Amino acid sequence: MIEPKAVIERPFLSVTDLSVSFPTEDGLVHAVDGVSLSIERGQTLAIVGESGSGKSVTAQAIMGLINRTSANVTGEIWLDGQELVGMPPDEVQALRGDQLAMIFQDPMSSLHPFYRIGDQITEAIRAHRPVGAATARRETIEMLRRVGIPAVERRVDDYPHQLSGGMRQRVMIAMALINSPALLIADEPTTALDVTVQAQILDLITSLQDEFGISVILITHDLGIVADVADEVAVMYGGRIVELAPTSVLYDRPEMPYTLGLLSSVPRMDRELPERLDPIRGNPPSPINLPPGCVFQPRCNYFDRVPDRACFTRRPELLPSGPDHFVRCHLQIEERQEISRDVLRILAGGSP
Amino acid sequence: MTAYLVRRVLGMFVLLFLLSVTVFFLFNLLPGDPARLTCGKACTPVIIEQNRHRLGLDEPVLTQYVKFVSGIFVGRTFAPNSPAPIVCNAPCLGYSFNRHEQVMTMIARAAPVTFWLAIGAFILWIFAGLSLGIFAALHRGRWPDRLVMGISLIGYSLPSFFIGLVLIFFVIIKWQMLPFPAYVSPFENPVKFLQTMILPWIVLATLNAAFYMRLTRNQVLEVFGDDYVRTARAKGLPERVVVVKHALRAGLTPIVTAAGLDLAYLLGGAIISENIFSLPGLGALAVGSVTNSDLPLITGITLLTASIIIVANLVVDLLYAVIDPRVRIT
Amino acid sequence: MLRTDVRLLRALTLGIAVALTLAACGQGNTSQSASQSGGAQQSTAPTTGGTIYILTQAEQFDQVDPQRAYTGEDLAFFGGTIYRSLVAYKFSADPIEGTSIVPDLATDLGTPADGAKTWSFTLRDGVTFQDGSPITCEDIKYGTSRTFATDVINQGPTYAIAYLDIPTLDDGSSAYKGPYTKVGQELFDKAVTCDGKTITFHLNKAVPDFNFTTTLGFSPVPAAADTGETYGVAKPPVSSGPYMVESYQTGNGGKMVLVRNPNWSQASDPYRHAYPDKWEVDFGIDPKVLDQRIMQSSGVDETAIQYGNIQPENLSIVFKDQETPNDQFAGRAVSGFDPYSRYYWINVNKVTNVKIRQAMAVALDRAAIRLNIGGAFAGDFADGVIKPNIGQDYASTGFWTDMLGKKIPDAGDPEYAKQLITESGEPAPKLTFDYPDTPTNAKTVAIIVQSYAKAGMTVTPNPIEPGQYYSVVFDPAKGHEFGTGGWGADWPNASTVIPPLFTQKGGWDLSQLDDAALNAKVEAAQVELDRATQAGLWQALNKEAMQNVWVIPTFFGLSQTIAGTKVAPTYRWPAYGSWPYGDMYVKP
Repeated sequence: MIEPKAVIERPFLSVTDLSVSFPTEDGLVHAVDGVSLSIERGQTLAIVGESGSGKSVTAQAIMGLINRTSANVTGEIWLDGQELVGMPPDEVQALRGDQLAMIFQDPMSSLHPFYRIGDQITEAIRAHRPVGAATARRETIEMLRRVGIPAVERRVDDYPHQLSGGMRQRVMIAMALINSPALLIADEPTTALDVTVQAQILDLITSLQDEFGISVILITHDLGIVADVADEVAVMYGGRIVELAPTSVLYDRPEMPYTLGLLSSVPRMDRELPERLDPIRGNPPSPINLPPGCVFQPRCNYFDRVPDRACFTRRPELLPSGPDHFVRCHLQIEERQEISRDVLRILAGGSP
Repeated sequence: MTAYLVRRVLGMFVLLFLLSVTVFFLFNLLPGDPARLTCGKACTPVIIEQNRHRLGLDEPVLTQYVKFVSGIFVGRTFAPNSPAPIVCNAPCLGYSFNRHEQVMTMIARAAPVTFWLAIGAFILWIFAGLSLGIFAALHRGRWPDRLVMGISLIGYSLPSFFIGLVLIFFVIIKWQMLPFPAYVSPFENPVKFLQTMILPWIVLATLNAAFYMRLTRNQVLEVFGDDYVRTARAKGLPERVVVVKHALRAGLTPIVTAAGLDLAYLLGGAIISENIFSLPGLGALAVGSVTNSDLPLITGITLLTASIIIVANLVVDLLYAVIDPRVRIT
Repeated sequence: MLRTDVRLLRALTLGIAVALTLAACGQGNTSQSASQSGGAQQSTAPTTGGTIYILTQAEQFDQVDPQRAYTGEDLAFFGGTIYRSLVAYKFSADPIEGTSIVPDLATDLGTPADGAKTWSFTLRDGVTFQDGSPITCEDIKYGTSRTFATDVINQGPTYAIAYLDIPTLDDGSSAYKGPYTKVGQELFDKAVTCDGKTITFHLNKAVPDFNFTTTLGFSPVPAAADTGETYGVAKPPVSSGPYMVESYQTGNGGKMVLVRNPNWSQASDPYRHAYPDKWEVDFGIDPKVLDQRIMQSSGVDETAIQYGNIQPENLSIVFKDQETPNDQFAGRAVSGFDPYSRYYWINVNKVTNVKIRQAMAVALDRAAIRLNIGGAFAGDFADGVIKPNIGQDYASTGFWTDMLGKKIPDAGDPEYAKQLITESGEPAPKLTFDYPDTPTNAKTVAIIVQSYAKAGMTVTPNPIEPGQYYSVVFDPAKGHEFGTGGWGADWPNASTVIPPLFTQKGGWDLSQLDDAALNAKVEAAQVELDRATQAGLWQALNKEAMQNVWVIPTFFGLSQTIAGTKVAPTYRWPAYGSWPYGDMYVKP
């Protein structure tokens, strides 16, 4: 009698060494390069970065929405004990909309303009569960009510163009949650919305998350909205995670210069940006010809503090910098913590 | 909706009226003298004047126009004072002194030919264009795509008359697989009808099919990049449903619109195909009327084809509103 | 590389063209050699039966009415099948014999009296219409009278009006208005009289060749069947020949079907052979398809003939040279003169100085123009308005060789043209050229502009919608200094060329001549009874026209046509420049 194999304890979702590359006429585009992250049930992970940082591609890879004929996807994605990268497409399809759900940046263009919103939601129900039309409609109306659509009985037969932006995003959320998924990926869910509506939508997502006990991956370029929502934050740059930390840690002790830059960019009502701080100069790197050293080096204010021109020659590793805190940077820990303190002091309105 | 329809139909009649005025007066401004044309080799001013009077061309253009319009509703008699008057019953679009026939009779004979030609070609090209275009889009960048785009390019670059001549030369003259084209009504002799129409259909469909392959492929690919298609996938819908229900429905709308207008355009006559295959359709009639400077016939055909286009435009607009709920009809 | 090839090809083509022209000149009579080329070897005896198909691009016959038909091909076809006339042209490939007349409805070629001011014809016994009723003198008289109803029976030949002794009104029209209104009927009844089977025409002047005239518009029509404007179209016309119209549908896919006339008898018509059982004319065939069908000549196309011309691109496939078909098409492809002389008319009221007109002729690059319109296949260089295939009325004018003071090369002589302009005492003219707007013409005009520019003359092209061309240029207010023109003789007598072209009464006076002295000379030639003397007068007038350059003669048109393998005989009938329809049969 042999001992049963020990069950490997895995987080609810774990992504290991995920890479996505697209062959193009100009060369191979490494959109995502060796991303590893994980998320527990009921938790919220925020992935933050500029456009082109690979955050949306990471999300789509998890959803299995990357067209495998035009892209190479490697690595492992484990969702509740199932590996998704190697899974046959029709099985991934069965998970999508059921275990995995996603909402998108622009609710107007994400809803089909030719179909009534109610029908678009029932379609999602009936794609996964054998329920009758009447039941599906009842469920749809109920879900629309829960996401806060007023006068649901009338609105359910509206076309998307008849709704406001916030209402549309509520419809998208209802559609995503209709089959009680375990994971919701929200890709810039508030970017296209009015500032006042943004908070409502985020509140809605968090309250429903609590209610349904689902995990959420929130993808955003705006560190400002993350603080109240996320449990953990992954900052991505040039297809890689450059800093990963629990939300409070990231806000209190950010270490990667890019994260500092992002923090500096957050608009705040109570202050003007100090003139001595220019948030992040230059443009994101081209995903085709990445610099040989640190990908962030061309835009970094501090690379001259690293000896041996390491920032020009060597890719930094994502290394632990504290408990649950990982940073990808050639700067010495002490040095970057000092830089961080200086920047935060200026941001808080103090002198360096 | 009803108000819209009434307004559009009324607008259509106004347009037709303006069109008839324009056509009538424009054609009357053309250089040359129709009376001189009826006068032949030995011509004297007296004969020209006589003919001008007989054709009713000595009257003011306005009077001619009024007679033309009233002829449509109540009929008219040409050369009433001449020894051999010609009675033209309503709806009278005029009388061709060149072909000694009423314009309406000629159009009524030619219209079914063009109708069958256009409808058959339309079905062929829509079927070929859409299916191959979708097929190519689904295999973007790989050999089926390249093959279809290659076919499209060839179809697009070969002139209709060339394809027509090659087909006639090999299929009819050389291999004698089909008899010489001679139009008969499909109700009269369906076999002969098909034998006659199959090559013209192919010729006429080729260019459009090539165009619609490309259009469909690009349209589908464009829609594939649209957010709502991604949403449909994210919902976990089967790929077939994603393609057919979500992508194609939205992507094909402009194609259907274009196809409607192309069909209308074809219904006005397919000159090259009709001439190569000796089909007595509207296109051939139009060409004949122009080469013979047959003013009544030109006027009649121009009005008819313009009316077809105007009506088709309305139909397409209404259709568009049915397909796309964002287009509001009020 | 391509350029060189093209130039080489052109040089070769030009070389061939020049060689052929020289050869033709050497023979002294281009018409004979051209007309007889491709003539059939009648090895088998003609047989009865079968169907001859006539394939044409045309959408309809220009006219079906016997008083309105006026194109050579139509006259030849209807004359050979459904319409008889008093006399008719003999079936022969020979240019003299083929333009001579033989009795048809009449028993002989007519009897002139009163110095050819009166002509009588006697009808044969047993001649009938398709319903079996006899053709009488009254039927011919009625048919002739229809021409006078110029508002109904238009576009046809009008020789009856020109020649019959009926007074003319102040406006120049005849006092007789035709059988429909019967206005002036008594005048007509005096001019055309019937005496039993004898019909007598009283003319307003001596017309020595009036019997030729009767082939144009003097065919019988039974008054009871006449529907005026629509005669022959709405319902089949009444046939007097061996065939009758079974059906007629115009347009693409349209047909005219002729079947045998049961009431026709060979005994009453020794002229027509009536070999095939049936004729079918197929309209609206694409010209390229048409060529291919007959060249291939399989199936029904074995007995098909072309109504129209071979497309230029097929000429080098069908023919070895200007006259000889390739072996494969020997005996069924024909190249010969069409009926037309082509020229550029010059409006003498706008270009008054003869030296300027001469300069316009001298500067012209005829060689380039001919190359543009198809080279040697398109025609021979013309030296006047009278074409050699007319017979005795043609004589070389020497226009290009010595008339203008020196030999003018085919490519024109800009230096000499400049000299002529200087001699004229006028500045180099600014001219506008009228032409029907076709692609070929556009290129021709470019050549004219270029070659005139070399001589210092400015030409502005004025393209005109082809269908409207003549109606525009005949309008003195709209026509310009010069433009394209063409004319074919109505019968082998220059009385059908010189008067129409150079007198106002003639009807085709594009040069706008109206000269009393000239009119008198033309009139004198018209009434000259001695045919040989008359020929001399026409030749002199042709020369006078050239000396004064009322027109610039360009080409004596050639045309090429083809028949299927089982049709014979396939010669070009000089009378109409057409197939000899009444002589044709299906080979077994």
